[in-house]
Amino acid sequence: MDIRQATIDDLLGMQNANLLNLPENYTFKYYLYHALTWPELSYVAVDPRGRIVGYILAKMEEEPSEEPCGHVTSISVLRPYRRLGLANKLMKQSQEAMVAHYNAHHITLHVRKSNRAAISLYRDTLGFEVHAMEKSYYADGEDAYGMRYIFTGSKAINDVERIKTS
Amino acid sequence: MSAAAKQRQLPNKEAGLFKELLTQYELKQYKKGIKAADTILKKFPNHGETLALKALTLHASLPFPITVGALPKQEEAEQMARTAVKKDITSHITWHVLGIIAKTKKDWDEASRAFAMARKQDNDNIPLIRDSISLYLHTRQYSSAVAGRHHYLTLRPQIRSSWLGLMIAHHLNGDIEEALEVYDGLMGCIKTDGASGPEKAQTALHVVRMCIEAGEYKDGLERLERFLRNDVLSARGEATQLKAEMLAKVGRLQEAEDTYRALLEQNSDNLEYYRGFLRTRGLDITETLEAEAVAKTLHALDLFAESYPRSAAPRRLTLDIAQGEAFRDRARTYLINGLERGVPSLFVDVKGVYQDATKMAVVGEIMEELVAELEKNASLHNDATIAPPTTLLWAYYYLALHLSHPSHPNPSPDRSLKLLGIALEHTPTLPELYMAKAMVLKRAGDPYGAAVAMEEARSLDLQDRFLNGKAAKYWLRAGDVKKAEDLVSLFTKKDTSAVSDLTDLQCLWFLTEEGDSYRRNGNLAMALKRYQALVNVFQDYEDDQYDFHTYCMRRMTFSAYMALMRYEDQLRSHPGYFRAAIAAIEIYLKIHDDPTLTEESISPEEEAERKKAAKKAQKAEQKARKAAHASGGDSGKKEDQPVPDEDPTGSKLLKTETPLEDALKLFAPLEHLASERVETWTIAYEIDIRRGRYLGALKCLSEAYAVDAEDPKLHGQILNFRRKLASATDLPEPVKAAIEAVFPSILPTETSPEEFNASFLSRHSTSPRHILGAAQGLLEIKRAIDPVPSDTLAEVIAILNQITTDNVPPAVPIMLEAVDFLRSAGAAPEQVDTFRKRCTDRAPLAWVLATEDEQKRRKTQGMDMDDEGGANGNGNGNVKADV
Repeated sequence: MDIRQATIDDLLGMQNANLLNLPENYTFKYYLYHALTWPELSYVAVDPRGRIVGYILAKMEEEPSEEPCGHVTSISVLRPYRRLGLANKLMKQSQEAMVAHYNAHHITLHVRKSNRAAISLYRDTLGFEVHAMEKSYYADGEDAYGMRYIFTGSKAINDVERIKTS
Repeated sequence: MSAAAKQRQLPNKEAGLFKELLTQYELKQYKKGIKAADTILKKFPNHGETLALKALTLHASLPFPITVGALPKQEEAEQMARTAVKKDITSHITWHVLGIIAKTKKDWDEASRAFAMARKQDNDNIPLIRDSISLYLHTRQYSSAVAGRHHYLTLRPQIRSSWLGLMIAHHLNGDIEEALEVYDGLMGCIKTDGASGPEKAQTALHVVRMCIEAGEYKDGLERLERFLRNDVLSARGEATQLKAEMLAKVGRLQEAEDTYRALLEQNSDNLEYYRGFLRTRGLDITETLEAEAVAKTLHALDLFAESYPRSAAPRRLTLDIAQGEAFRDRARTYLINGLERGVPSLFVDVKGVYQDATKMAVVGEIMEELVAELEKNASLHNDATIAPPTTLLWAYYYLALHLSHPSHPNPSPDRSLKLLGIALEHTPTLPELYMAKAMVLKRAGDPYGAAVAMEEARSLDLQDRFLNGKAAKYWLRAGDVKKAEDLVSLFTKKDTSAVSDLTDLQCLWFLTEEGDSYRRNGNLAMALKRYQALVNVFQDYEDDQYDFHTYCMRRMTFSAYMALMRYEDQLRSHPGYFRAAIAAIEIYLKIHDDPTLTEESISPEEEAERKKAAKKAQKAEQKARKAAHASGGDSGKKEDQPVPDEDPTGSKLLKTETPLEDALKLFAPLEHLASERVETWTIAYEIDIRRGRYLGALKCLSEAYAVDAEDPKLHGQILNFRRKLASATDLPEPVKAAIEAVFPSILPTETSPEEFNASFLSRHSTSPRHILGAAQGLLEIKRAIDPVPSDTLAEVIAILNQITTDNVPPAVPIMLEAVDFLRSAGAAPEQVDTFRKRCTDRAPLAWVLATEDEQKRRKTQGMDMDDEGGANGNGNGNVKADV
């Protein structure tokens, strides 16, 4: 599968994949908002016929905070394309873009408390940690785990360390 | 002071109230505002600007979405705004208000005109200019947008975005040179750029892109390298990709190659990086390569496969490139690797090579060998290792899908089902096996059996929305709308119906599939309703861009914005729109041909069903109302409800008196956006010929001919045109002359139509679609003879029968179409039945070809899916014998 940065032309395919896979869905305009604010951060996995079979929709936190912080709005891979490590690859690409283009210090995401497969992917494969529990985060009342991964090699940390050591 | 201005001036007291009115509008104190307006209007009922502001305030006070109770007020506000303009036609306020109201109605053209008029009255009004620029951009009036931007820049030259906005306007207007000049002008006159890092990066990237678009690679490269050096741009991703492309363009090939290597270090799964790398060595893998080039390409990709063992991309690419024995060896290794890792996607991954029939056959042979070896417990690696049982499981799975693939020359669904049966005995809990079974049955023409199988897959993992959606889709294919809606509702909002939630969420697949399902069931009204809902979603997609005309200037995401504008320009070339538009047009054509279809003739059962549905909808609405009430929202009163759907059953759509005009509206975007598709022209022919527009119809034939001269639908239409032409006696001379000049290049005059048809058939004697086309062509020829010869149907059937012969792949959808065609051609029920039987003999699992009664009986008597490979496992080749 081809893995590349998402373009405007990919957004409807991403919306379609999202509607097929996940219970949290968004209208087209929300995809536009991502692509037209942080064009470098969202990625797609594309099959040989050009169909979008996996995506990561990502952004930077807009709330002012001490360090720039990335956030995964949605990530999923169509069931027939699982076990290829696509989610892992999509996540890595988006994370590296967050650091390179926005100097991100860490990245956050929300996951359903019951979604053990996803939690294990984020924690065991991608190194995320649970840092918060959000009660009734989802529309159906389910709780969410707030998960976070701190970029160790990020420029932001290097800067901080440079200041500390100087 | 002019007369108009004098009339506009209010006495002190009222002037004060007028100011208050403005403030109250801005503070959203709408009630107070309206009161103030009324006080002024009492004394000065003809004061246009007050009337305009009252209209604006009233309009802003209305709930969204609009409720039943507020509807009259909305109309009142709109009417008031128009009256205000009439009362004071030279006021910028009255025009501005008219523009704002048109904008909220998404009537972009009217809004754009009103804003232009407002600006005429007040040229330097900044908010006015901003809005009108957005509207010019939105309605693609680029030269007016440039003029607006120019004007804005003279008023606000100290703001960076005034310059960059002008740059983008020039770019959209097709003048990149001017755009770059504006950018350089800005950079030349500011000392420090106050933009943030990401803002500078977005601007820089766009400047480079403009250079590339203008073909100025050297300039672009210089700028890009400077941006990279100064840390304006990050080397990650796009910037480096643009650099590689430009280096290749200016012939610095070694550097280009190194740059692509650097990109692959960043992302070794990006196919374009591999393609770009190979291009720098003169190897274009999008074209057919010579033997020597193939060897070089494979060698390069093999090295990458070693460097990036975790990336499938280079190994998968070699399967596209390699030929003959090299392909066989590589495919075998690739397949074994995938089977051993138990990757469910192996089939969807490898089937990309099936475009090449030879490769498809080779893959089939390899898989047969592998299955045989695995069944014997033999090693796949010429050593003592024995593959785990799951390898065989995945091999069965692969082979089952392979044998039922649509491009398989001789599919054997029976064998596929047998293989899956063995696999399921071994692992009865793997949803993928049931999904495969469903797919095989669907392709074999058994949508009901397929839905039952998909339901089993779903039941094994109820939390998985993908399986839920697939099961719903399969029920829709099987004609069970209710079951499908019940299923999807498990994952939609609880306070509204599944259909309305999925429509709000712009779920294209569901709208299309449910429309198709209704259409197959003969409910044309609901089919139209779903297709039109999808068409409306595309209108929303188009309207969505409006806010971004200003947003992107603020965020400086210029490249993404340009991509948006270009994307929206061709939005309706999307296959989702295309498919729904064609389906809806076909319904409109049907209505035109048979207006009795618009008269409802529903059976008592349907009537009862409909009442039940209406009750259910009412209940859902009440529930939603209660929920809203509980959450402190609207009160439960009827007039506080959103305006209900005024055509819940689609009957208004169906009862159209202008079906051809409705069809034309849907067709309009396709003419330019899908001109490369032959169906665009064959459907347009059907519209034009019904409108009696012979020249238009002929143009459609010519266009279709240019796309695919051998298209079977076109073939029938050519002969249809010939017949229609012969009976059109009142054509004006110039039209006749024009047709005579063009038509012979499509239907040669030197051969007889019979020969034309026979030669078409002999050219395509193994293609089911073309055989059907020839049968349709023959009917046209015969019908052109007066009186129609008595052997017509017999000859048509003789051609159709070829669809069912052994050397023609059994294509169930075409068989179904052929049955319909035969019926509409006036064949007797027995003749249709005999043909149907021939089809089911050739495709024994094709329950979709059985009569309604047969299908019903099968469903009520239950169906044991594990019965010997499905519906017709006893192998007597007759669907009905089984029931």
